[in-house]
Amino acid sequence: MKVIYQDLVNLLQTKPTIKDLSSKLFQLGHEHEIHNNIIDLDLTPNRGDCISLAGIARDLKPFFGEVKLPELYEGSFEELDLDFKNLSPEDCPKISFLELEVSELNMPYKPYLENYFKTLGNNKVNFFTDISNYVSYELGQPTHCYDAMGIKNQIIFDNKVVNSTFQTLFDTEVSLNGKNCLFIQDGEIINLAGVMGGKKLSCTTDTRKVLIECAFFKPESILGKSVKYNINSDAAHKFERGVDPSIQIRTLKRFIKIVEDHAKILSIKLKTCEYGNHNKISLPINTDKINKILGTKLEKREIINILDNLSFVIEDGNIKVPDHRHDIFNLNDVAEEIARVIGYNNIPSSPINLESIIPAHIISNEETIKLELINSGFSEVINFPFCSSDKTNTIKIDNPLDINKNKIRTTLKDSLIDNLLYNERRQKDSIKLFEISDLYSNKDNIIEQKRMIGIIASGRIGHNYIEYSQKINNKYINKVCDFLSGKFDFEVTEIDRKNLNTKNNNKIYYIEFEISNEEESLIAKNNIKKPDIKFIEYNPVSEFPSSSRDFSFSVTDLSKVDYVLDSLMNAKANNLKNSFMFDFFINKKSNEVKIGYRFIFQSKTKTLSDEDVSHSIDEILNPILKIDGVKIPGMHL
Amino acid sequence: MSDIDSLQPPKILKEFGTLHPINQTKDYLIKVLAEMGFREVHGPEIETEEFNFDMLNIKKSHPARQMHDTFYVEGKKNVLRTHTSPVQIRSMLETNPPLAITSAGKVYRKDDDATHLPMFHQIEGIYISKDVTFANLKDLINKILYQLFGNDVEIRFRPSYFPFTEPSAEVDILSKDKKWLEILGCGIVNPVVLENCSIDSNIYSGLAFGLGVERISMLKYGVNDIREFYKSNLDFLSQFK
Repeated sequence: MKVIYQDLVNLLQTKPTIKDLSSKLFQLGHEHEIHNNIIDLDLTPNRGDCISLAGIARDLKPFFGEVKLPELYEGSFEELDLDFKNLSPEDCPKISFLELEVSELNMPYKPYLENYFKTLGNNKVNFFTDISNYVSYELGQPTHCYDAMGIKNQIIFDNKVVNSTFQTLFDTEVSLNGKNCLFIQDGEIINLAGVMGGKKLSCTTDTRKVLIECAFFKPESILGKSVKYNINSDAAHKFERGVDPSIQIRTLKRFIKIVEDHAKILSIKLKTCEYGNHNKISLPINTDKINKILGTKLEKREIINILDNLSFVIEDGNIKVPDHRHDIFNLNDVAEEIARVIGYNNIPSSPINLESIIPAHIISNEETIKLELINSGFSEVINFPFCSSDKTNTIKIDNPLDINKNKIRTTLKDSLIDNLLYNERRQKDSIKLFEISDLYSNKDNIIEQKRMIGIIASGRIGHNYIEYSQKINNKYINKVCDFLSGKFDFEVTEIDRKNLNTKNNNKIYYIEFEISNEEESLIAKNNIKKPDIKFIEYNPVSEFPSSSRDFSFSVTDLSKVDYVLDSLMNAKANNLKNSFMFDFFINKKSNEVKIGYRFIFQSKTKTLSDEDVSHSIDEILNPILKIDGVKIPGMHL
Repeated sequence: MSDIDSLQPPKILKEFGTLHPINQTKDYLIKVLAEMGFREVHGPEIETEEFNFDMLNIKKSHPARQMHDTFYVEGKKNVLRTHTSPVQIRSMLETNPPLAITSAGKVYRKDDDATHLPMFHQIEGIYISKDVTFANLKDLINKILYQLFGNDVEIRFRPSYFPFTEPSAEVDILSKDKKWLEILGCGIVNPVVLENCSIDSNIYSGLAFGLGVERISMLKYGVNDIREFYKSNLDFLSQFK
């Protein structure tokens, strides 16, 4: 909700600066941003009472004094003879109708009204609708204006199932279905109650006789309708959060006052309908309990003073909750009111005495498996569970984000294949991944939960001079998983690439099995220690392709081998992302050592050209090739 | 000149894989809380509406229960849990107070944009005993945040709204560039929730808190885009060794 700073300050007894105001709004829990002189509030959903100038001013009263409410019409009303029937009073327990007739309009709008539209950038619609919007801004009570010339027969309010179209006053057609609160005349829907009125009886710039409907709808009767029908409605936002059931007459008097400021009024007629008494909440004043909740030592006088400032009535040893507060039910709620005004940061801290839990000496099976796999170069991934499986035991999502992913996966395989292909597309030549997750399935209408692990691998075994030339195969996978043998029931399968969108022909190996932590602990045979967690500084990943260059060094001065290896390992160059030794060969015949090294380059800002890579290569190679007895056969720098 | 016969091939540097950074952060938080006396408990990701909402005082009319915020499954019979709080409900039903437990895991909301994902991780804690106060909550939260961000971190508490806690608070820390960053939600357990779990709210009270694991990970590692965690990109993952 946006409010104009000056409008808010006009209602406050003292005149705080925008900075003071902002500070107190934060203290009260009203998050906001300030742009120029507009305060844009992000109110919590329980504070429907604050969605207006007067509501916010009322909450600020403990800091800035008595609230000066806008001027009201002080004259009398004639009785309105309106045929209204409420078939669902539990959804609309209180409603008022005001009929106004004016003869002429004195334009332009008074500065307070004009400023509302100009400063907040709201569009003017017509005289009565503009006032309705302004009164809602000031007092928080939405009203709906019908052109009274169209009200000829009985108006019915009902909450009923319909399947029909409705033309909104914004001239959009909405297909109503299910149960909806509606105003109906002659069998025709004239208003989707609490959300938006209909086109047919809407006011125009020519309207001079208006019927203003001012209602209290139960929040749950309106909730979700504006989202369901995609109608952006300020009224629905307010009704969903709860309006003040006792504010209707004040709202209508304010409406008349603004009309009076701009037009000659010919007649004022009012009808109010109330069905049953509003259920008022009363709580005992128990300052000990409030102090116990907060951990404070506040005096009763101080607590009562705060509550009084927040419009609570203290009477006969009870705290009477004001009608506009739909969020106060018990003393914890009251304690929060006290805490907001004192300021959460001013409540002292006090320690609790809990004994530390000593970590278990035995690491669980799940942790053991994770650590073993990490030790073998496997990385853990986490995937979303949404899939398109057509298996019968799959759990279906009623309202998926994507209709093609409307099931909960029952295997980790598909996610891990996607992860593997994603990394292959990013030029990864050795991919070893695993995922551990709970999987769910529907077995005879009972949800079954299993803790599963999926392990996938493809490409080269490693990036070193022994493993680089070897491809991941069945033997390797079985060796990696040897520690699981006899403990878990699993088999290594090869995934066929035929149906995968890839030109890569490396074999893919996959294992999936259930982890049960009831099994005999594996740790006894594997002396694994959980590593300490370090929070490294992350280096953003480049989205540009990488370029690699391989070099084969010949070292004939054997005393320089270690130095060359050290230089290669610690080589630095612009855009150098990674490097590794893929070959090391001692040629006893020629008394030389051959070292094969790959350098991988990648920029964070562009696709590297050959020239860019060459510059970086020069940075690396120049110092190494200056060493006596080191050369790259066939290469001249 | 070295003798070629005595030349040894270089040692092979072992290539380690990595634990997912989200799980690293989650494990770290569980460890921090265990040191403070919180025992870890687990629960299912597919929950009943009763445990996910009703028991937590989230009324039928609450916006979070709408189809546009919660994933419903199997003809609205169950939900994908929207928070880890139902695990706490299960624990409160099973264990008599005093109790101090923490639950961590995946949660689901019907969101998918640059800053929100349909699945993310939460870690929550609850402590139920006699005479637990908001002052206790402040002390505990301060200690957690000092542990996470250092003893000189500036912390601010401000009122918020959660149906299951009252009073409720959101807690911010002051970043290096002097901006307040929302870091967690917390509060005094609403007595309605205690009564729902057959705990006498006249005798017992409690505190509860919840942190977003992705949020903490992003701050601790300096990751700016939450989606990076779920691309399974080895260039990304390999940094968290």
